[in-house]
Order: sequence, then C-alpha cells, then structure tokens
Amino acid sequence: MSDQAFPNALPQVTALSIYKTMIRIEACDQRIQQLLAAGALQFQYYPCGGQEAIPASIAPLLNEGDQVVTTYRGVHDIVAKGTPMAEIIGEMMGKVNGTSKGKGGAMHLSDPNAGVMVTTGIVGAGMPIANGLALAAKLKGTGRVVVVNFGEGASNIGAFNESINMAALWDLPVVFLCQNNAYAEYTSFADSTRSKSIAGRAAGYGLVGETVDGTDPDAIHSAAKVAIERARSGKGPTLLECNAYRLQGHSFGSEEDHMDQEELAEARANPPIAKFRAALIDRGDATAADLDAIEADAKAEVEDAVEQSMAADMPSEDELYIDVFANTADVPYVGTPDNKAEPDLSDREVQTITMCQAITEALDLALEKDPDVFLLGEDIADPAGGVTKATVGLSTKHGEDRVRATPISEQAIIGAAIGASLSGMKPVPEIMINDFTMVCMDQIANHAAKLRYMSGGRTSVPITIRTVTAGNIGNFAAQHSQSLEAFFTHTPGIKVVAPSTAADAKGLLLAAIADPDPVMVIEPMRCYYVPAEVPEGYYEIPLGKAAVRREGKDVTLISYGWAAVEAAAAAEALAEDGIEAEVIDLRSLVPLDLSTCLESVKKTGRCVIAHAAVEFGGFGAELAAKLSEELHGELKAPIKRIGGSYTPVPFTPSLESLHFLNADKIKNVASQIAG
Amino acid sequence: MAKIMLKLPKLAVSMQEGTLREWFVESGTQVTLGQPIYALETEKTTVEVESPFEGTFTCIGEVGQTYKVGDPIAEIVQ
Repeated sequence: MSDQAFPNALPQVTALSIYKTMIRIEACDQRIQQLLAAGALQFQYYPCGGQEAIPASIAPLLNEGDQVVTTYRGVHDIVAKGTPMAEIIGEMMGKVNGTSKGKGGAMHLSDPNAGVMVTTGIVGAGMPIANGLALAAKLKGTGRVVVVNFGEGASNIGAFNESINMAALWDLPVVFLCQNNAYAEYTSFADSTRSKSIAGRAAGYGLVGETVDGTDPDAIHSAAKVAIERARSGKGPTLLECNAYRLQGHSFGSEEDHMDQEELAEARANPPIAKFRAALIDRGDATAADLDAIEADAKAEVEDAVEQSMAADMPSEDELYIDVFANTADVPYVGTPDNKAEPDLSDREVQTITMCQAITEALDLALEKDPDVFLLGEDIADPAGGVTKATVGLSTKHGEDRVRATPISEQAIIGAAIGASLSGMKPVPEIMINDFTMVCMDQIANHAAKLRYMSGGRTSVPITIRTVTAGNIGNFAAQHSQSLEAFFTHTPGIKVVAPSTAADAKGLLLAAIADPDPVMVIEPMRCYYVPAEVPEGYYEIPLGKAAVRREGKDVTLISYGWAAVEAAAAAEALAEDGIEAEVIDLRSLVPLDLSTCLESVKKTGRCVIAHAAVEFGGFGAELAAKLSEELHGELKAPIKRIGGSYTPVPFTPSLESLHFLNADKIKNVASQIAG
Repeated sequence: MAKIMLKLPKLAVSMQEGTLREWFVESGTQVTLGQPIYALETEKTTVEVESPFEGTFTCIGEVGQTYKVGDPIAEIVQ
C-alpha cells in the first residue's frame, strides 16, 4: 500500500528494520548520557543525536563480512553494524565485558566480529585505513565493501585528500561516508571551507559524489545502495555526503553557544526519529503501538546491557602489559625477548652482494613464501624499482598488484598497509627516507602501534615499514639524513630494527615480515652498496637478539645501524693501543636484548653507547640510564654516550663531519674511560 | 521504588570539581526528564543540569558549596 501513495518509500520490512536500528541507537545514546548526567559514569562522550538515520539506513545493505570504520562520535555506526549492546556499554564503563576489555574506551571501540574494524579518536585518520581494508578485499577477491564514516570537519584534513585520491586511482571498494552535521567540534561548516558541499569535491578526484538528506532514511538508503553496489561490483569508491544537523554540543556537557540557536531549535523540533515515526504511521507501515513495542524492546536491551556491564569487573592488573605486543615478553624491561636460536647457516652457500641486494632478495623470498605479503610505496615498481633500487625486478616477477607503486601519499601508504593487515595480510610499506615518516606519524604512532592494545587484542597490525636512514652519506642535509628511531622506541606497540650488515638486513627483514606486530626496519644507506657475504636462501635473524661482533675485556661499545660499523672500526684502533673493546650490535632496539648488554658491561665495567641519531634525548640516553641503574657499584667509569650534535644535519661537508660520529670519535671517548 | 543517586557529573574532560550555584526545584517535588534541576559552575562556565530521570526529587548538596566529580548532589525516587 505504501508503494502507491509514497512512491519513493522503502519496502515496509526495510523501513521497520531501519526504524528499529534508529531506536536502538537512540536508546543507547540517551542511556549513556543519562548515566553521565547522574554522575554514575565519567568520561568524555560525543553524542550522535540527529545522525541516527545514517547508519541505520545503510545497515540493511551491508553483509556480515562488510566492514566499517568510524570515529569517536560513532556509537550509532557501531550499534547499527551489530556490535552487542553489552560490549559497547561495558567498554564505555572500562569493564572486561567491553569490546576491548576496557582498554580502548568510548573513543576506541572495535569489534571485528561485527566488522567494526577501527574507531579512531583522530579526526580523518580512518580513511587511509579503510582504503587498506578495501585493498585487502580487492586483492583477496572477497567481495567485501568498506564504509568509512567521518565528519565534514575531517574533509579538511590531509588524509582525506590522500585517501580519496588513492581509492579512486585503485578503484577500491570503499564508500566514503561524510556525515555532515554542520559543526566541526565548535566551528561551523561556513567557517571551515568555501566548498558548497563536501561531495562536490569528488569530481576533482575522478569519483562520484552525492549529497543527500541525512535525516531521510528513504534518501540515504537509495543513495547508499547505488554506492555499495558500485563498490561491490569493482567500479570503485563513492563520496556520499549525508547532511544531518547535530542536535547537541560537541560533547556531553559542553556548551552550545557556538551553534546557531534558531537552526538548533528548528532541528530539535523535528528530529529524524520523530519524523520517521510519523511517516511510518502515515504510510500505514506500522501502528503507534507497533512502534511503542520497538521502543520498549530497545530500552530493555540497553537496560540489560547496563546491568551486565555494572556487574562486570574492571580488568586485572596483569592486563596492563598484555596486548602491547602479541608476546608480552617483547615489552622492554617487562619480559625477556624469547631468544630464538640464531639460525645455523654454516652449511649455506654464501654470495657476495650488497645490503641493497640482500634486501631485494629478502623481499623476493617473502613474496614467494606467503601470498598475503605485498609491497607498497613510492616508485617501487619497475622500471624504477625504488629510488634505492631495493625493489628492482620484483614487480616484473610478482606483478604490480603485489609490488604496488603508490602516489606520494605517506599517510595513505601506511593507512593502506594498516587496513590490509587488519584483514590478515602482511603488507610491507616503504617510506623512502626516514625523515618522511614524520608526515605519516599519526598512522604509525596513533594507529599501527596502538590498535592491538586499543582493541584489547581483537585486532593486530602485522606490517613491516621499511625506511632508509640516509645519514652521513654526504650532502643530504637536514631533511634527508636523520635517524629518528627514538620517536618510535618511545611509542609503545611498534618494534624497531636497525641492521648494520647485509646478512642481518636480510634475516632481520624476513623476521620482521613474519612477526605478528608492526615493525619499523631502518636501513642504513651508508652501508647500502657495500658488498658483503650473505647466506643464500630463507633465514630469519630473531628480533631482540643482539650480536657480539667482537669480544673484549676493557670496555663495551654498544651500537646499531651504520654507527655499529664505526664502533667495530674503533675497537680495532683501540686494540692497537692495547685496549680490548667488546662490540655489541643491538640489531633491534625493541625488543631489546638487555641481558647481552648487562652481561658485557658487568664484565668490562665500562661502556660507550654510540648512535648516528642526535645524542640529546636519543636511545642511548635510555640505555645508559638503565645500565647505570642495574649496574650501579659495578661500573669502573660513568657510562658515556656519543651521537649526533644537537643541530639539524648540516649540508656542507666541513660541518656535516662535525655533526656525525665516526670511528675516531668513538675511540677517543672509549680511551677517556678505558685508557 | 527505586532510589537513584545523582552525583556531580563530569561535564568536560578537565573538570575535577564544580560549585552548586542554585537549585531550580525543591525537595519533595516531582521532576520530569530534561527539566533543569540545578545550576553548576565549572572552571569553564555555568551550566543548567537537566534531570536525567523523572521522580520525586530530594536536594542533598548545599548552594555555594564546591563538590568533586562523583560527589552526591541529589536523589530521585521513582
């Protein structure tokens, strides 16, 4: 009956299902705010009032396997995708029955069981990750569609540009769902952009954009249906903008003075739920009594979830370090890395190749071994084969799907890797130069490193970020020469590897790719093209196992990366002066092989820590402090550090050589304490 | 009959305490959902706190007093 009188109306079953979801969202959102207003719960909450119709109208179009990424104002998206109510409310209360055992909280609900893959607290950061989920769907041919929700405020962030461009370029099965609620936190749409709409920007990127009334389920559903079918049939992404006025301030308890009071009053007088309820009755789809029953059921469902969550426990103390890494033994100072034995390579054929060629070989072996491994990065496909030539030949051999050249879009590169890894793949993104990791730091530090913990172990990010540190190769200056490992060792959840030899570069890279956690491998360009002996075939050098390069009794030199080569040379020079130095190459900083360092410094009583990175605030400071704490009273001299001067890396050779350490400088410092 | 304790709500991420400035309802009266029940001054602003429940209202806090987030302020009996 409704078909004739309301030609654009949805079928009754769909309409009622959408209404039910809207009511369940409202019941959840309102109950949370009730508990906050009563002081029973205390956390920062971002209500979704006014936006209920958007995910509710899309939900009937999504399969169980389809995936959603959302934001801190995303409880409506999460309820609509099917996360159990008790897990949502439990997480908001910080209880063990929550989606993340209480470790993620209201802003970081993730429930891969229901396809809620990431809820991010960083505006705009979900889009790059959604691309990765969609890329995995495309590469694996799962037919899965990804819907990424964000606000109009997020459309002014760089990640929007990078992600939309990459998704259009690669025809990714993703729907960019802009929930335009008229305010980006406290700033109106008009004060944020000259664009008339967000969807209007789509044309510039070569994808379809459409704006619909985000309070009208009929309109949302029909537009989303086209977008989802487009994605599912391999025809690429859509930018769908749903306009739905925010019915309250930015967060629970925040003032509303920044909002246009007339507009707000008008929107509140005709909220989407009441409007749809009236339409359903008007169309004859339901009676008031039918809809009352839906409301009563939703309230009961929420009440049951609140009771379950109130009764649940807070996580126990041992949960603190669980989910930082797959294996808690890898957490610095908490566990001792499971020291897998060094591989026995004595019967292997040995070839003389450069570190660069050893890396190419490792990537080739990884691509051959595991179909879930793929590479992505700027210029990495043939004929370029990467700016360092580390990936030369690989796209020709393994195809451009698996050795994937990207636009210059570091956030999109890391996001795509993260998303694909959440779907079980093992991506190896390349960030050309270490300095460039700073432009995608949000994806690395706030997402790759934290998603396992924030999801209470429900998701993990087994990506291997390869990056070159180009320090001390001559005239590469301040923005292409840095060693930034301390940024990453200071970020719980990501492992950091720094090889100094070609054989290690190969074995550590293969171990990193096989590792269940995100790993950053910092490859030293200074050692890149030096021929050395490298065993043939597949082998892994375990992460968290230092190498003792030279034994000695007088002083311990601890180093990593290209500085370890200088330390070894310093040891030879010291030997000529009668000082026997023990040289430890850490190889990985996280996990850290503290016991090898302790054992050596205990023996020698003296220690110099040498690294290419700026000395002030560097990794050496951490290690020196720890060794001093552990060995106080057994040291014969203060632990010394040597690293880069506290300056940007200078261009001109006369100053560059002053900035960086070398074997002579290490020798001088060691002689001061051991001479 | 259910007794619900109303505690001082956390209205901003940095908020630790607030001062009760005015009661809009008296003890013993019926309050409805969303009815302003008291004025709360925080470090940032003064807001009218609305009743999250309906029922018979009892004031506990005293006007002019500063309370910590989570301290009991009022009670509603349903």
